[in-house]
Amino acid sequence: MAISDKTIDAVGLSLAGRRGGRFAMTARTVPGGLKWILPGFIVSVGLIYYSIIYSGYLSFFDWGGGRSQMVPVGFDNYVQAFHDPVLWMALRNTIAYFVVVFVVQVVGAILFAAAMHSKIYLSNVYKVIIVIPVVVAPAIMAPAHIQVWQTNGTVNAILNGLGLHSLSQGWLGQSTTSLMVIILVSSWGSIGFGFILYYAAMGQIVPEVLEAARIDGAGNLRILFSVVLPMVRPVTISLAILNFISALKLFDNVWLITQGGPAHSSEFLGTMIYAETAGTQRNLGYAAALSMILLVVAVATAVTIQSRSKEKTRKPKLSKSTRELSNV
Amino acid sequence: MFETRSRKSQVILQIMVTIAVIPFLIPIYTMVVRSLQGRGWGNYVAVLQVPGFARFFLNSAIVAGGSIAIIYLATMMASFGFSKLRLKRKEVFFWMMMAALTLPEVVLIAPLYATAVKLHMMGTFWSVILPIAALQIPFTVLITRGYIDGIPDALFEAARLDGANSWRIFWSILMPLARPMAVAIIVLVLINAWNAYLLPKVFLINDNMGVVTLLPEYFRRQYNDDTPKILAAAVITAIPTIVAYVTLQKQFERGMAAGAIK
Repeated sequence: MAISDKTIDAVGLSLAGRRGGRFAMTARTVPGGLKWILPGFIVSVGLIYYSIIYSGYLSFFDWGGGRSQMVPVGFDNYVQAFHDPVLWMALRNTIAYFVVVFVVQVVGAILFAAAMHSKIYLSNVYKVIIVIPVVVAPAIMAPAHIQVWQTNGTVNAILNGLGLHSLSQGWLGQSTTSLMVIILVSSWGSIGFGFILYYAAMGQIVPEVLEAARIDGAGNLRILFSVVLPMVRPVTISLAILNFISALKLFDNVWLITQGGPAHSSEFLGTMIYAETAGTQRNLGYAAALSMILLVVAVATAVTIQSRSKEKTRKPKLSKSTRELSNV
Repeated sequence: MFETRSRKSQVILQIMVTIAVIPFLIPIYTMVVRSLQGRGWGNYVAVLQVPGFARFFLNSAIVAGGSIAIIYLATMMASFGFSKLRLKRKEVFFWMMMAALTLPEVVLIAPLYATAVKLHMMGTFWSVILPIAALQIPFTVLITRGYIDGIPDALFEAARLDGANSWRIFWSILMPLARPMAVAIIVLVLINAWNAYLLPKVFLINDNMGVVTLLPEYFRRQYNDDTPKILAAAVITAIPTIVAYVTLQKQFERGMAAGAIK
């Protein structure tokens, strides 16, 4: 039997009167929901929970993978991990990375978003330039970054050109600067992402609010950081969580630019786990133990940030973004 | 946002933004200039003539296409079930799914590697597509359920009174009405799948299964660090992504913004 457009129209038009009534509610009582959610549930929940449980199991063994013997070692992998100076180095790098990239991203993205909302020529050209690093894979840009930062690369050429010969150095080969390069490269890629979110959020701000602040005598930067920033707070919180997760799982840029070196100075959890999973001297049990540690840190942090932000804003975090989507 | 009443302040703002954009251009500029060193455009010709170069793009398209198909269908079905059908302990199922929202893929590689070796799934596209789907579905379901919740129940009820069963309702009412979500989901998954590096690096070990993100390393092995050719390959690989972004700017930005409410 055909479902005529007329039927849908008629119901659509009379919605206002019926909403929430007995008639509207009956649709929810149609049984058979399980088979509809099952495909997605098996692929995602099945695979992920299986992996986590299997990871927990593996973490109690020493195992070189493949046909080699699995040796039960109890909690040794965890004990080894917490006595491993490389793990502490990786955690320190993760925190440094998170703090710097987050601050650069928020400040850079807000300034660009505000500038693009102002009267400016060729704003779309600027926008594309900023967003290109977000859409092009880090793995593809990595060779270019190596050329920029290597000893006879672009950065040193610029420094020499400015007469700052003493500052030019082998950025990638020094344990004092390798982490900085990774952080700068990631900041370069993260500003565009923050920009897209702030740009959209700022479009929702009512101009009268800014006008009022201006009449009260606030300058451009004052308005930006005292009026606009608090209004786009949900975006900032999302960025904090996303940045923390990406700091924990960071792999592409590090592996392709410094390989975590020299002397583990730019090591991250992602590169450690990869080396133990697919490297030559692998121990899948140790990789699994590191994964479990990472998982605990990730979940604990995400929950903390989210619950603390809820205490302050008490707004349903998702509803607004979902509404924006529905205006597509 | 910035107020520029006088001509002078407008010029200053324009200059400041131009200066601020320079650091973004440096890697791109370096990449293009160095890719032309030595044999000039000959580097590009050499790269394009490497046998199997197109294969990398085809493989990336397979991974992206497979991920999109699985994620899109599974998401629409699950959201329909969660939003409009009756299901015992619905919210328990939902929160089990949502618990995986912020999971970094790197925690999956050790157990999945061990499993893939045992099941002989190393070097199959499934070993990359399924983890990508698993990690994306919780999120796409979250935003799609929110969207479908906003579609009035009465619409579905009317269809049911007209005699349509759940399949019919799904294909003829839900899918068309939820089409705006399709754009966001497709773009989000496309970016993630096309740019994925870790999973293909671990699982697609056969040489003829390389995806575009593995191209720079492939050329490093092939040409013993012939930098201009490696960079020429990187430029060629980056161009389709940039063209796609510039032509579908709005859709890309919406898809990425959707990805941020995790």
